[in-house]
Amino acid sequence: MEIPYTVTARPDTGLWNAKIGVWLFLASEVMLFGGLFSSYIFLRLGADYFWPIHELNVKMGCFNTAVLIGSSVTIVMAWAGVKMRNYKMYFWNLLITILCAFLFLSVKFFEYKAKIEHYGVVLKDGTILLGHQPEEGYRYKFNADAVTLNFKEADPAYFMRYATKAFAEHGGAHDEHGGAATPTLPIEGVKFKTEDGKVTTLATNDFLSLKAAAKEAKKDSVKLTPVEPIGFNVQLLPQRLASHSDKTLAFLDGTVVEGKMVSDKMELHVDVIDTRAAPDADKSMAWAIMKDAGWKHAFDEAREEHLKKFKESHPGDDPMKSDHYLREALRFEIHGETPAAHEANHKQGLGFFHDMPWAEHHYPTVQIEAKDIQRWSNFLPKWNTYYAIYFTITGLHGAHVLAGALVMLYFLVFNSRWFKTDPEHLANRVETGGLFWHFVDLVWIFLFPLLYLL
Amino acid sequence: MANSPEEVAKHVKTYLKVGIALLFLTAVTVWLSYVDFGTHSRNMTIGLAVATFKTSLVVLIFMHMNHERPLIYKFMLFSMLLLGVMFTLFVFVRDDGLLLKGYEAVFGKH
Repeated sequence: MEIPYTVTARPDTGLWNAKIGVWLFLASEVMLFGGLFSSYIFLRLGADYFWPIHELNVKMGCFNTAVLIGSSVTIVMAWAGVKMRNYKMYFWNLLITILCAFLFLSVKFFEYKAKIEHYGVVLKDGTILLGHQPEEGYRYKFNADAVTLNFKEADPAYFMRYATKAFAEHGGAHDEHGGAATPTLPIEGVKFKTEDGKVTTLATNDFLSLKAAAKEAKKDSVKLTPVEPIGFNVQLLPQRLASHSDKTLAFLDGTVVEGKMVSDKMELHVDVIDTRAAPDADKSMAWAIMKDAGWKHAFDEAREEHLKKFKESHPGDDPMKSDHYLREALRFEIHGETPAAHEANHKQGLGFFHDMPWAEHHYPTVQIEAKDIQRWSNFLPKWNTYYAIYFTITGLHGAHVLAGALVMLYFLVFNSRWFKTDPEHLANRVETGGLFWHFVDLVWIFLFPLLYLL
Repeated sequence: MANSPEEVAKHVKTYLKVGIALLFLTAVTVWLSYVDFGTHSRNMTIGLAVATFKTSLVVLIFMHMNHERPLIYKFMLFSMLLLGVMFTLFVFVRDDGLLLKGYEAVFGKH
């Protein structure tokens, strides 16, 4: 059976059917994204923090905008190619469009990756330190005196993964076997003593007999003491602990370790010091953490420079009421563009691409005490509502880019032969796909300024 | 709507020009976002005005909305009306203590 009105117009609508279909679909897409843009407005108005501006990588966003605009031109050219019966023009333009779609997604991948690997630490006074964590992440180092297993959910394979030799007492984050290189102990190599003096390990068989013995004695937990001193070196992201204190660690399976916290310091390679939310930037906790007084000095110089600029361009205005000034002056970028930051950076080269993923920099490494931290996280939806709406809208948009690329790839592979047999039908298909593609471009035209620039 | 090969050939140059204009306007948007216009809502207005202009170029030229059948305009009219409603819902935050602070920061006290 032949499907009617794929090429000729239906008399009552005056349009071929797929065109009506795609426009109805686009109308519903307008509603979908419209709802999300509306949420954006509400989240922005309700934000109780400084809404990030120029915090995403503007160069990458700008590049991706150009990629989408370029592909919008090529898809319409591909359509024109069919209409003009020029196969080469059709084929190459459609192919370039598809490649642009995948280029866009690759750039987006690197942008997401950068956010997942970047951390923000809110200090107790509201100052925010931004930076990267060492490869092994943020870890608590804890020396164990006793381990209490709760048989209901106890899973030695999970918590024993963090067992190491005991830490030197004043080791801090930089003890002799700190970091990723900390050798974990094999589960069968750690011997424990039960309360009645028996020696056992937590390897599967031993654990099962411990469990059976406890069941016989009608107990649901057992307290073990390590025969040789051991420690736990626990990664905090993803969340591995239910709770902790100076004297205890509680794992998610209900296992409680008693002992002593050796180090709960976070190591961070700082790239931004944001003092906007601190009551007084000069007394921010960041300066004690940064140790080297040179950073405060560089911050002061950069701030003075911005103040001078502000007074020249807005005479009589209060700088503390200008978001622009606050962002420039109180949010200090270690690799910023101001001469002061540049100098503080020990005259390291600051090229045009200094903020790109492949650029390597030396960032000052600091140790932050757990007691000074209000909260910390990487830049995922849990950091703030801005990142929540950022990932929601760009994720949905990315899904559209992928879908569009697959549809166009289908046309290229399976429908190209129509160029000879049924070119008008092919032209209509490309036009339908193109309309969707322009819509995807159109959403991005708003997303780019709203999320990256404004 | 009649898209004869000759007519399409005439449009090809227009498509290229629009593409270049869109790239240029993207650069303008980025540049303007670094200019301090005094208040941030001014930056917002200017930036979104440029984005709206870019969008209309795409819709009118690339999506051929400058010469389309009436039925499609009717569809989009409904869409735009509902979109307008969604984008003006925020005026009600004046009655919401939680959101009011942000509202005043953007639009000023009244």
